[in-house]
Amino acid sequence: MALGLAGSGCSNGAAGGTPLASVAVSEHDFHIKEAQKVSAGKVDLAVHNGGPDAHELIVVRGHSQTLPMRNDGITVNEEALTSETVGVLEPGNPGARRNLVVNLKPGHYVLFCNMYGHYRAGMHTDLVVQ
Amino acid sequence: MGILGTMALVSAATVFLSIRATTGSQHRAVVVEVAARQRTLTERYLNDVMLVRAGARAAPGTTAMLLRRSADALLHGGLAPAVNGDDDEAHVAATTNPTVHSQLEQERRLIGDLTRSGAALLANRPLASVELAAGEHPGAIGDVARLRVLAALTSNVSLNAARTFAREADANVNSLIATQVALGAAGLLISVLLALALVAATRRQTAHFRSLVTSSTDLVVLFSGGGCRYVSEPVTDLTGRAEADLLGDRFLELVHEDDRAAVIDAGEQAQPRVLLFRLMDRFGVWRQVEAHLTDLRGDRHLRGVVFNARDISERMRLESELTRQAFYDVLTNLPNRALFRDRLAQGLARSRRARTSLAVLLLDLDGFKQVNDSLGHDAGDQLLREVAERFAEVVRPTDTLARLGGDEFTLLVEGAAEDEALLVAQRLLQSLGDPFSVSGRELRMGSSIGIVVSSGGKAGTEDLIRDADVAMYAAKESGRGRYQLYHPDMALELGEQLGLEQDLRDALKNGELSVHYQPEVSLKDEGIVGVEALLRWTSPKRGSVSPAQFIPIAEETGLIFDLGEFVLDEACRQAAQWRADGILPDDFVVWVNVSGKQLAVGGVNGLVRRALEDSGLPPQQLGLEVTETAIVSGAPGERARGELELLHTLGVRVAIDDFGTGFSALGQLRHFPIDMLKVDRSFVQGLETDARDAAIVANVVSLAHSLGVPAIAEGIETSSQLDSVRAVDCDLAQGFLFARPSAPAEITALLEAARARAAPTPPAPTPPAPASR
Repeated sequence: MALGLAGSGCSNGAAGGTPLASVAVSEHDFHIKEAQKVSAGKVDLAVHNGGPDAHELIVVRGHSQTLPMRNDGITVNEEALTSETVGVLEPGNPGARRNLVVNLKPGHYVLFCNMYGHYRAGMHTDLVVQ
Repeated sequence: MGILGTMALVSAATVFLSIRATTGSQHRAVVVEVAARQRTLTERYLNDVMLVRAGARAAPGTTAMLLRRSADALLHGGLAPAVNGDDDEAHVAATTNPTVHSQLEQERRLIGDLTRSGAALLANRPLASVELAAGEHPGAIGDVARLRVLAALTSNVSLNAARTFAREADANVNSLIATQVALGAAGLLISVLLALALVAATRRQTAHFRSLVTSSTDLVVLFSGGGCRYVSEPVTDLTGRAEADLLGDRFLELVHEDDRAAVIDAGEQAQPRVLLFRLMDRFGVWRQVEAHLTDLRGDRHLRGVVFNARDISERMRLESELTRQAFYDVLTNLPNRALFRDRLAQGLARSRRARTSLAVLLLDLDGFKQVNDSLGHDAGDQLLREVAERFAEVVRPTDTLARLGGDEFTLLVEGAAEDEALLVAQRLLQSLGDPFSVSGRELRMGSSIGIVVSSGGKAGTEDLIRDADVAMYAAKESGRGRYQLYHPDMALELGEQLGLEQDLRDALKNGELSVHYQPEVSLKDEGIVGVEALLRWTSPKRGSVSPAQFIPIAEETGLIFDLGEFVLDEACRQAAQWRADGILPDDFVVWVNVSGKQLAVGGVNGLVRRALEDSGLPPQQLGLEVTETAIVSGAPGERARGELELLHTLGVRVAIDDFGTGFSALGQLRHFPIDMLKVDRSFVQGLETDARDAAIVANVVSLAHSLGVPAIAEGIETSSQLDSVRAVDCDLAQGFLFARPSAPAEITALLEAARARAAPTPPAPTPPAPASR
């Protein structure tokens, strides 16, 4: 799991002059729900893990159909996506509410959980930034 | 006790928490173990399904059953089945954490989804038809892949549950550790406090002992096991030895040989409670020490006897000094009156028992008062010491020589009869034969001795001393430097003296006293230039009493003050009367004697001024005759000079009486205002027979002239004496040759006659040389 943040994301939600767009992201066994469309710029992802299992959240530029998989055929090859990764939240306990601020440019992004089996069980969603 | 109780509580809590932590850790290990087995079982189930699907033998149903049982055990508590041959069944407690619980429920659902999907796959049914309970949205993947995803989810969730559980357990352990650290710290703190409290308590105890020992100035010595085990600092200070040099037997080396056994006994027996012994100080001087003993043989720390001692040498010295002062004369170190009385009482008792006699000698120095007055008390004291030494040399050691006070000594000679007592008296007088050297002068001293001998009669100590005193008085009367044995007639004579004193007091009251005047004449023309006022006593009982008889008594008894005042007042009054009568020449002087005693006491200035004021007599017509000893010695002399100088400034004349008989310091006279020197009659009387007296008279006259004042010779009785004093150029004379002391009326006649002689011309007598200085 990559720990470094791509782009200028940070985790505390502090912002400069422009108002921060907030996007609710809900994780659950085994799917992710969000607005699916946001404007470009800094976006505060308010992530709630609805459980019951622990989940992480990874934000990469791209389409969910084309994300590269590891050899096990079950987990996404994050290493291959390093340059496309704009934000990562490490696994959080069920019930946890966390924020991830990411700087999004117009384009397609995928939000997914890459815990063992979770991506394949349905924990990914596409986000279009305009 | 509070601290100990808290310590126990903290320890119990620590142990309890440790047990809980250990139990928790064991539980966590079991859960993680079981979760790990789930992963193994999940993979085995997947393999079993694949093997069976490939036609091999496997038992996926058994594995599925183990999976479910294991999951149930994790969820609800109970026995988790062994997975491999060497596994044990593991007892798992039901989880209480809601997160873990929901995760395990999710696992339970996933296991259901997995095993149903596996069964469908083996039954060649499409997996899409299998109802999923855990919320998967598998999407478009193959059946095997789908089964693998389910297996992955299952093993992952169980591991996540184990991880959550472990994190919680870690948090618990961490808080436990924190609590234990806190408790440990508290325990440590309490231990430190306890230790400090113990140290403080020990210190207090030690300090208590120390304060008894070191902060006091007491000499503290601890005896234990037959030797000295401890000495306090004051002991090392006193003895000048280091503590190490006093321990064991070495302290005893400094204890006086005669006291050593007592000190050793006391150090072992703690008896007596108070012990006196002598201890040698750093200068080798024996110090008297008073020790109070404390028996601490039962004290497990000391096991000995503590001596709390004080150096009482000074106290004892003071006591003995006080005793000495009570019984010895400080000046001469001879026994004093109290001790003499005591010795005499003992001697009397012995003499009565043994039927022997004893003698008491009472000695009074002749002329001692004069020495004291003229040379000062220091000289007097020195003389008394030397006299005491001379006396001590000639008496036996068994005799008691004492000083009763003043210049009075007594000697008790036990076993002595009259003959021997007289011999002793002789020896005593002889011992004074050589002159004494006092204050740079050679003095000859004599003594009058009264002797009383007791032969076991009824006379007590006071009787004997009184009788010796009477005898001494008689010896003095009979001439100085003599001794006299007491006989009862003497008491009668003394009684006569006492009667005279009383009569004199009465005389003053009854007007038996009068003043007579003896003219003083100029040797140039034998004209009367003054008179000396002299006291006369005519007693109805005794007739005319000689001043030689009553003046000494007046001096002794203090009556002299009253007599002096009487003469002064009377003379002033009489002179003023003559003056008022117009017969007193302006340069005529009435001379009044002022006793040395009166000058010494002071107040003459006021007395004379009052007499002058009362009478109205001009000061220059009054003259005061003073003896030289009254004005030269010590502080009284100084005061006398001061008073006389004040009066002289007023105009009152001052003459030195009996000049040549005292121990004059001529230097002091130099600055003293004198108007006349009076040559003592004793020199005048010796003029015709003793060339030395003639020389003295000549010298006195010459001295007067060199001081610028006239000289007067008194006691001129013969014409040859008159010639002699004329020959040495004496200015004035007085004596029977010219006139006896006369009643005022006779003087009035003389003055009138003189005035008549001078009548033809206006009264202009030659004034005597005034005091020009």
